[in-house]
Amino acid sequence: MRMAVVFTKEAPVRFVSHLDVQRLFQRAFRRAKLPMAYSQGFNPHPLVSFATALSVGMTSRGEYLDVILTEDMTPEDFIALVSPHLPEGVRIAEALDLGVSNKSLTSAMRAASYEARVKLSRPVSKDEIDNAIKELLSNEIVIQKKTKGGIKPTDIRPMVFELKCICAEGNEARLEIRGALTASGGLNPEVLLGVLFGRMGVDHTAETERTEIELERAALN
Amino acid sequence: MDTALLNSILKKVEKPSRYTGGELNMREKPLVREDGFRLNRFALCFPDVYEIGMSHLGSRIIYNVLNERRDTYCERSYAPWFDMEKALRENSLPIYSLETKTPLGSFDIIGFSLLYEMCYTNILTMLELAGVPLRSRERGEECPLVIAGGPCVCNPEPVADIMDALVFGDGEEVMNEFMDVYTECRVKKLPKKELLRRLSHIKGVYVPAFYSAEYDEKGDFAKLSKTDPEAPDKIERRIVRDLDKAVYTGDLVVPYMSIVHDRVALEIFRGCTRGCRFCQAGFIYRPVREREMETVIKQTDESLSCTGYDEISLFSLSSGDYSHIHELVPVILDRYEKDRVSVSLPSLRIDSFLKDDLEKIQKVRKTGLTFAPEAGTQRLRDVINKGVTEEDLLRSVHDAFVSGWHGVKLYFMIGLPTETDEDVLGIAELARKVSREFYSMPKELRGKGLRCTVSASTFVPKPFTPFQWEPQISTQEVLRRQALLRNALKGVRGVEFSCHFSETSRLEAAFARGDRRLSEVLISAYENGARLDSWDEHFNKPAWEAAFEANGLTVEQFANRRIGIGAPLAWEHMDAVVSQKYLQLEHERAYEGTVTRDCRKGCNGCFGSRCSEFCGKGAGNE
Repeated sequence: MRMAVVFTKEAPVRFVSHLDVQRLFQRAFRRAKLPMAYSQGFNPHPLVSFATALSVGMTSRGEYLDVILTEDMTPEDFIALVSPHLPEGVRIAEALDLGVSNKSLTSAMRAASYEARVKLSRPVSKDEIDNAIKELLSNEIVIQKKTKGGIKPTDIRPMVFELKCICAEGNEARLEIRGALTASGGLNPEVLLGVLFGRMGVDHTAETERTEIELERAALN
Repeated sequence: MDTALLNSILKKVEKPSRYTGGELNMREKPLVREDGFRLNRFALCFPDVYEIGMSHLGSRIIYNVLNERRDTYCERSYAPWFDMEKALRENSLPIYSLETKTPLGSFDIIGFSLLYEMCYTNILTMLELAGVPLRSRERGEECPLVIAGGPCVCNPEPVADIMDALVFGDGEEVMNEFMDVYTECRVKKLPKKELLRRLSHIKGVYVPAFYSAEYDEKGDFAKLSKTDPEAPDKIERRIVRDLDKAVYTGDLVVPYMSIVHDRVALEIFRGCTRGCRFCQAGFIYRPVREREMETVIKQTDESLSCTGYDEISLFSLSSGDYSHIHELVPVILDRYEKDRVSVSLPSLRIDSFLKDDLEKIQKVRKTGLTFAPEAGTQRLRDVINKGVTEEDLLRSVHDAFVSGWHGVKLYFMIGLPTETDEDVLGIAELARKVSREFYSMPKELRGKGLRCTVSASTFVPKPFTPFQWEPQISTQEVLRRQALLRNALKGVRGVEFSCHFSETSRLEAAFARGDRRLSEVLISAYENGARLDSWDEHFNKPAWEAAFEANGLTVEQFANRRIGIGAPLAWEHMDAVVSQKYLQLEHERAYEGTVTRDCRKGCNGCFGSRCSEFCGKGAGNE
């Protein structure tokens, strides 16, 4: 059977790279003696796949992976079995029985939401940020994107679904971002914040959390 | 610790999980016990980056030994990479422990593992980033006690001015005695001088400040005299008698990032009976002490289930020599086959008969195969007492090829005592025979293409080996012999040559046999910018050259000097238990080309009159 897992990546493991998160889960599953299915071939590896990577340093309330099991179990039993073996900062928020579906989680991804806590080099009012956002969203947002063929100007505006300032006080502000996240790529919220505050002429540092990945359930069937 | 500032730094540096800690099985303890006793804070430091330090079995054992104690909390710290060192300095942040992010300067004890000479400048980086003065004599009562252990302690003189104390030999027992004395002195609020005096009375503990060195008119080391009459004349290496009952690593800390040896390493025995004459480990870890098979299996179970690793290395200096190896390998493979755990056997000797075991190992996962003939001719292999023959090598590679391997590495050394051009060319001849062995097999029996790497390192004479008196050959001569070999290997099918004589081999030789004056050289080199010297690409040659010059010394006077037999040795106050007389005898036998038998086959008397005390295998086997 195939089990999808929604998990958190919190502060203690925020600097653990994507590759290392994959190994972290494989080892946790082994410690839990989870009946994992393995690939065929010379170097068999457990069939665990991740929907997408998270930037190193970012935290998340809901990342997705799926694992193929050789025995059936309920999502509740799965959570009870695996949870004690996860390191601090990784928690299973939800497990979903995907039945016999073999569509990848990645192909079902549509969008993601982020929350950013920003520290600014000078006090900025909410109005000032709201105006800058309005201005930013009314036009193309061209960034210089590094690609294999060199640096290319790219308009990221179509990938921004929502950008709003929740509050701003003194040198701090909180923003919410919702943008595209699909198999072919997605919005980098920290790049978007860079453009926004760059145009406002403020230096900033951001602590960004991915709050949700939106999957189209129908695409998994 | 300003965590927001630290986080902003970690976002920018390479491999931030080197610096975050929080790994599975990391030890956590309240800093104050229920009875109000504040625990000793011990920072166990490895003077290289995290992925190297976390691969070191010894410090993982010490981490467990110290944390098993009720009076001590041991935390870890590793040398920062260049970017992190720069970031810490720019932001005026101290180096800290991974467990509680406590600045190293506020620990009671800072303890370093000394595994190789080329990590010494990293000790200074860590001390300076901790705000701790570099020289022992500059550190007052308020400073942490700075100590060290590990194989390099067999010649501690190059770090003598830096360390307050060093422990010689197996740490499992001596560290407990050390901490007992430490706790007692701390509770009684005794001054550091008195603490050091009491520590120096523990067998195996060396306090350099209680000794002073003299040099002769030629500038060579002359003698070391005691400045404290109560200090011991000789520092005797500590030996754990019963490895089977000794504390091991316990619950292994499982790193997030991938480290150099990313697997469970289970020590099946300590020591080696072969007696290769260039090998320091072969002398300073004597006698051989094996773990019982049942213990190995039990500890394998524990280690795999608490870590989730899928690979285990049955670790030792020569794993094929383990008395029960042919029983152990299949037992472990069978036991974990369904869990897909693979087994690796490091340091396999060419003459171990392991064909069946290798085939079984390969069923789970294929690992690389490395053989170390060390020298190209039988004559030179006899000189170094390697004890393997060309037939052994060819049979081993044949077995490996039949079992499906097509990649092998062959390790050699250039510059061994008595080496001639014929010996160097012998390496190429051996490689040619390996290549022929592969290509003469029917295609359907062997892999597609041979990948044979011939690697030649430069011989470094080390203390407590029969070659401790020998010079390292000059740089020019190394380069000439390498060129000779490279030429001879041209056109050998499937063979690749890799060698690097770096400046670091010279420095390693100087520091291996150096004396106390090198402490100042080390500090100068550090101040000139030398860092992470074992990383060749970052080796700062001008910094070292200037450092030697500023102190009126040369690398050559340490690295390339032939020391007369009987002349003073900078490390002669250290007693590795193997007798100097035996080393002399082995030195003579080397020049005669006489082979000394494996001491599993009968005692060779290396401990002299202390055989029954430390080994006890002697008499019965004769």
